[in-house]
Amino acid sequence: MVSSINPSLKGITVLIPGVLLSFSFDIYTPLVFLIFMMLFTFLFSGIPLKKWLLFFTPFIIVALGFAWMTMLYTSESFAGGEHLFSIWRFDVTTGAVMTGISLALRSLCFITLSLLFILTTDSTKFMLSLMQQLKMPPKLTYGILAGYRFLPAFRHEFHILKQAHRIRGVGRARGIKDRLEQMRRYAIPLMANAIRKAERVANAMESKGFTGSHNRTHYHYMKINKKDWMFFSVINGALVLTFVSSYFLGYLNIFGIRVG
Amino acid sequence: MLFKEWKLKEIVLMSILGVVFAFIYLGFFLFGQTLRNFLIPFGLAPFAYEFIFGIWFIVSIIAAYIIRKRGAAFWSELIAGTVQVLVGSPAGPMLIISAAIQGLGAEAVFAATKWKNYTLPVLVAAGMSAAVFSYAWGWFNSGLAALAPGLIIATLLVRIVSGALLAGVLGKWIGDQLAKTGVLRGYALGKERQKPRERKAS
Repeated sequence: MVSSINPSLKGITVLIPGVLLSFSFDIYTPLVFLIFMMLFTFLFSGIPLKKWLLFFTPFIIVALGFAWMTMLYTSESFAGGEHLFSIWRFDVTTGAVMTGISLALRSLCFITLSLLFILTTDSTKFMLSLMQQLKMPPKLTYGILAGYRFLPAFRHEFHILKQAHRIRGVGRARGIKDRLEQMRRYAIPLMANAIRKAERVANAMESKGFTGSHNRTHYHYMKINKKDWMFFSVINGALVLTFVSSYFLGYLNIFGIRVG
Repeated sequence: MLFKEWKLKEIVLMSILGVVFAFIYLGFFLFGQTLRNFLIPFGLAPFAYEFIFGIWFIVSIIAAYIIRKRGAAFWSELIAGTVQVLVGSPAGPMLIISAAIQGLGAEAVFAATKWKNYTLPVLVAAGMSAAVFSYAWGWFNSGLAALAPGLIIATLLVRIVSGALLAGVLGKWIGDQLAKTGVLRGYALGKERQKPRERKAS
């Protein structure tokens, strides 16, 4: 189950393909890795298929839009090949279509990677692990966790503000200028309240003896085990295999330069 | 040690600003998505995000303007990026990297003034620098390298202007509005505001 993997290492695991895939401009590399990531997600992640599809499907449209845009605006070094068709004032070539498809597949890879992370990771555990494994300062960690806890309170305050405005006869906004003024009327008091809360929380933390030193005990100890490293090597091993096979099959294309 | 010269309340304030703006960013992400889908048929989709891109640098400007310590611009942006991942932004952990790069862009300008100057031109320059940094990362990560040079220059220019206005100018304005409410009395910006007032009273 991916949800039991250490969150920091999980984050790093999905970041590496996110960076390395950016080098490839061919179709084979992102396509093979995308298929692998989807199989991995279906077999081992424990994410319900229906939920995953619900998140994933909208991005197919986004990716298609991106591919379309790339096709129209491909630079000359990528737009080689035969002339296929023209739309309005754009000429589309095979090179442009290939690049467009490659970038769309790449963005779908990014989405599968990030869904694997966000749908299996508990936010508090992620913060605790950032502090314990990646040595993020405890002051920052607990500050963020406190801010995160305030979010429901903001919604409540927003309702109060709205009612307060209404009872004092502040009318509904009409037109853009009114809208902007209304945004200011809500945003500034909400943020001012947030700042007050920040100050109070900081005082409370200090008065209870919070020093912010790393030399402290924890209620939840986050650890990295063998299983976490296995997850890391499976994903990134598959990435390396994809690149290697792409190279030997002669598909690999780094920044428009065919290297295979 | 990191944050040695920082007070705890400044760190907590920066964290909370990061959390608040993470949500504002998510809202703008959805807005940009709509704008883009609307512009796709016209072939103008690449510009959809560029117009509003400056908003993604604003927390750097606000935090640096209020707190005025080294690292405020970088860390606040990084926090906003991380919190978006916590909330479940579909962009996932990659957002942390882009946030760090944007934050570095803004921080570089404040560093150039040795974290002493927080006037409007510096804030605007910070917004523009964040725009350039983020563009360089997008060039690599989203494959902008494959796009025509003319389009790259045009989108970059729009993003820089957006960074100057939506991050630099709007960020300073929000900071000033907050200072007016009096809640910033304990922070660098509020203290600066109080000085002229005291002089007047005496």
